[in-house]
Amino acid sequence: MLFKRIHAAWFVIHFSLIAAVCFAGIFSLVAEGATILPSALGKYARKAELIAAFVLGKEAAASSPMRQGIATYLHAAGIQAGYSFFAPNIPDYHKLTLELYHEDGRVEYESPHVIGRAAALRLDSLLSRLADKRYEPLQEVVVKMLALSVWREHPDVKKIRATFGAVNLPSISDFENGKAESFQPMFSYDFSLREEEKRWESPIAPDNVD
Amino acid sequence: MSKSHTLKEHGARALLRRGSGDFIGFLFPPETDKWLGALRIGLGLQVAVYTLFLRTDWHHLFASTGRGLVSRKLGEAITSFDSSLIPKLGWLVALGGYAHIGEDAVLSIAWACLLCMGLLLLLGLFSRPAAIIAWFLHLCAAESGGLFAYGADSFMTTGLFYLMLSPLPDRYSLDHWLLKVELRGPQLLGFWRRVLQVHMCFVYFIGGLAKCLGSGWWDGSNLWRSLTRPPFNLISPDILVRFKYALPILGISICLLELGYPFFIWIRKTRLFWLVCILVMHTVIGLAMGMYLFALAMIVLNLAAFGIGMSGKRPVSAEVAVGRSTVQRTGISRRSALGAPPLRG
Repeated sequence: MLFKRIHAAWFVIHFSLIAAVCFAGIFSLVAEGATILPSALGKYARKAELIAAFVLGKEAAASSPMRQGIATYLHAAGIQAGYSFFAPNIPDYHKLTLELYHEDGRVEYESPHVIGRAAALRLDSLLSRLADKRYEPLQEVVVKMLALSVWREHPDVKKIRATFGAVNLPSISDFENGKAESFQPMFSYDFSLREEEKRWESPIAPDNVD
Repeated sequence: MSKSHTLKEHGARALLRRGSGDFIGFLFPPETDKWLGALRIGLGLQVAVYTLFLRTDWHHLFASTGRGLVSRKLGEAITSFDSSLIPKLGWLVALGGYAHIGEDAVLSIAWACLLCMGLLLLLGLFSRPAAIIAWFLHLCAAESGGLFAYGADSFMTTGLFYLMLSPLPDRYSLDHWLLKVELRGPQLLGFWRRVLQVHMCFVYFIGGLAKCLGSGWWDGSNLWRSLTRPPFNLISPDILVRFKYALPILGISICLLELGYPFFIWIRKTRLFWLVCILVMHTVIGLAMGMYLFALAMIVLNLAAFGIGMSGKRPVSAEVAVGRSTVQRTGISRRSALGAPPLRG
């Protein structure tokens, strides 16, 4: 019987954590006004999200063993994120275009790429994350790394302009009327190859940020 | 007054005891190991397909600064914000460093090991160690490449997590056939199946609820967007336009299918219909949007949770009885005919 009670206790804790993660995600969507629910519910949703965050130990200090323990468990069980895939709406499609300025004055256009389709889906995940406000502090460093991955294939390039933006896809009626997709730039960086850094691991550095 | 109070207390305690008993009864139904066999084989296939799909990009995705697409160390640093105890490939690279093994070699070994674990799970050889190592290596890869991760990774981690904790081996594994490893009790098998079943109900209920909260799922525009959005745009928009009147119906159907899953999947009369619809939905997602790994993971988890050994009559009692009373009555059983001893417990 003790064996069953231990299992039952684990079951309750495990699914309480899953419920907290899932509902925190739903409440967050409501609070952000991303749903069809009235915006008046936003403040209540924010409060509910805080309660869920408390259950998950996120209100504790970052170094708290309880917080770290819960986070480790959630990741180990693959339950650290909710299940609102493609919901409530389909995320925008984002694109990173790299303009490669060669020594001889030629300009080429490239995008970061992978070989397999499975990896292409992952690259798309990365670009979607870049557009997320939470990842704003990482934008420059990630774009720089992606530019570097392309630069390695074109070592004679002296400057790279990286432009990141959202691609607005036509709706059904727009498509029927012949409207094509449009690109909405969000930010861009210029990276140039510095002579003294050529021999180092990360040879391109941002010149300016638009 | 005092007598009525005592009666009330007694009644409440009895109610609590009955509720607790019902809950334990729900959690530990006697169950065969067919579902576990399906989960092991399915996840073995999933792990093998995952590694083979990523073979050409493995180093590109997980190499460190200046060598990969985005440095693995960046993904690991982000993961460490949550907890420094979460496994990552960097641990293995550091371990390899002590043995003077380079990063490339460690990544190759990790890839090969993961593939081997997938094949071992498929065969059912050293099932539990294979499940633990597969879970660990996949978790390392998923966390180190956290910036690249998507839904399929979470489901693989969860599936492998449950598999390694489940009472392996199952009767279809080589562990049982060749190594004669004893099978585990039906109640423990029932418990882990319940865990998987309840988990799937959470997945679909939350997914369905979130979709219902988006206007685009009611008018079909989200379905259009999901099918025309790169890199999921395998079907030409010209073909999709021809079915534009069907898109709102399909969008609403998906919402209802997911939202209704935790209710209708438990009802015997609707279970098969709901399960088939869900499996069809994932097959279409896999084929029409190119999300093969995601589709395979969901199909495997659904089949293990509600598919194998759940159709028709009560699934377990008959089979478990074969392991007990039928043996006593006839001296032969379906299980022993398969070369397996009767189930313990």
